[in-house]
Amino acid sequence: MRARSGARAQWALAYLFVAPTVLLTAVFSLVPLGMLAYRSLYHGGIFATSLRYVGLRNYRDMLAGGGGHALGVTASYTVGFVLLTMAAGLVLGLLLNSRTRGVSKLRAPFVIPLVVPAVGTALIWGNLFAPRFGLVNRLLNAMGLPDIDFLSQPGPALVTVVLFGTWQFFGQNVIFYLAALKALPQDVLAAASVDGAGPWQRFAHIQWPMLRRNTILISVITTLTGLQTFTQIYVLTNGGPQGSTQTALFYVFNEGFVQFDTGRADAMGVLIFLISLVITIAQVALLGRRHG
Amino acid sequence: MAKRITVYGMLSLAVLIVLFPLVWMLLTAVKSNGQIVNPAAPLWPVHPEWGNFADAWRQGPFARWFWNTAVFAVAATSGQLLSGLLAGYAFAMFDFPGKRLLFWLALSGLMVPFSAVIVPVAQLLGDLHWLNSYQGLIIPNIASGLGTFLFRQFFLGSPPQLGEAARIDGASELMIFIRVYAPLARPAVAALGIILFLQNWNNFLFPLIAVNTTRMEVVSQGLSVFQSQFTSQYNLIMAAASITIIPVLAVAVAAQRHIVEGITLGALD
Repeated sequence: MRARSGARAQWALAYLFVAPTVLLTAVFSLVPLGMLAYRSLYHGGIFATSLRYVGLRNYRDMLAGGGGHALGVTASYTVGFVLLTMAAGLVLGLLLNSRTRGVSKLRAPFVIPLVVPAVGTALIWGNLFAPRFGLVNRLLNAMGLPDIDFLSQPGPALVTVVLFGTWQFFGQNVIFYLAALKALPQDVLAAASVDGAGPWQRFAHIQWPMLRRNTILISVITTLTGLQTFTQIYVLTNGGPQGSTQTALFYVFNEGFVQFDTGRADAMGVLIFLISLVITIAQVALLGRRHG
Repeated sequence: MAKRITVYGMLSLAVLIVLFPLVWMLLTAVKSNGQIVNPAAPLWPVHPEWGNFADAWRQGPFARWFWNTAVFAVAATSGQLLSGLLAGYAFAMFDFPGKRLLFWLALSGLMVPFSAVIVPVAQLLGDLHWLNSYQGLIIPNIASGLGTFLFRQFFLGSPPQLGEAARIDGASELMIFIRVYAPLARPAVAALGIILFLQNWNNFLFPLIAVNTTRMEVVSQGLSVFQSQFTSQYNLIMAAASITIIPVLAVAVAAQRHIVEGITLGALD
């Protein structure tokens, strides 16, 4: 009985309460989305006043002019990022969940990379992976291996960016998996222990199957995080070398604010929106099934 | 016993990987630049140069950058919490024409990632003459679909008897919200507030497209500019990075319990 009947005065208060959120969402999310879709069909610079209709040409130019490559980079980056952060999250979640005394206090450090500013951490990674004097190269040399110029070669640069993104974000998946593990029915696990199941058997036959839904949900959230990685790449490699770390989002930024080709930027923006939308719908569907 | 050693060993290794880059930052910040670029030099600072922090601070307008970041993060976070609290309460407690449609509108922002619309948002800010202004930084960031959703869930789970009792005593709907229900949300406000605050404080992409003058830039932008001006002064760059990271680290350590709670909330589950 939450509805209070006949209270028209309540309507005014309700509209007043929802107005800031609804109006600001409309102006700063929906209007830009409309502008994005509209302008992706037009030719013109970022603050241009005269727009010329060009149909789908921006999309064709975008895909041919580096955009297709950027989508490939985004796929490689996101797959590597999702697999590594989820594997690390699961393993550390299991370790933190083990009934070893005092172990839960070790949870706190994993949150730190998530909350410290990424420009600063990117500069640290740049230093660690610097050619010749960077710590990683000094370790390689100490082991008798040759130098790797991590940030000036396409393959190593992409790997470095994936590792850096993983370092910054995997704590989120540690927290998610730990919360999911703690929510599992403990009596089932206790019964299995009594029946002589070891940690591996408990994991493989009880915990992992029961975590299936959480794993799907976490993979969706992590994929969205991966798609939106920007600062790490902007500072560490600026999309280089030779566009090897230029993701779709970086492409939008570069075309829109550096090359001032907003048509291509908007076409890529539409693709990012559609990709995220499909993933978000998948998330809503999964959550709906859980609660329904 | 062996199990205990394995668990602690693996966790300690992971903690080391997490914390090492930050320790390395501090060590590098107090080295001489000569020691940094010499691959044969010891890893430990030989003659610690504690003055590097003060030097870095003097080389850039950090005080201004911190001020801008604080204004932006405090205002945007307060706005997100307040607007989310109000909207979430109305969607949970009131019935009004158009409620369904308005609820979907309020959440539609969650479907539009900011990364997709950076170009039109910049164009919009330009049309409003809001580039390089506090209102341009703050106002577009106030609507929070996540806040609205979470506070709605929260109030749906709160006891309706409290409001009914107050209503019988003649309290107005506004007073019931302010005196009865809003105070109940305090723990949720703390958990969501700390996460939103840190997100706003660390936000780089939005300020990057909304402001580009030294007077208006935030700390993260400032650090990026600093880096481009002192490309090979590695000790000063690490000192400047420390200046931006240490305050956040202090907040994170002090509020770690709320942060863990807030991150869990963010999973929308």
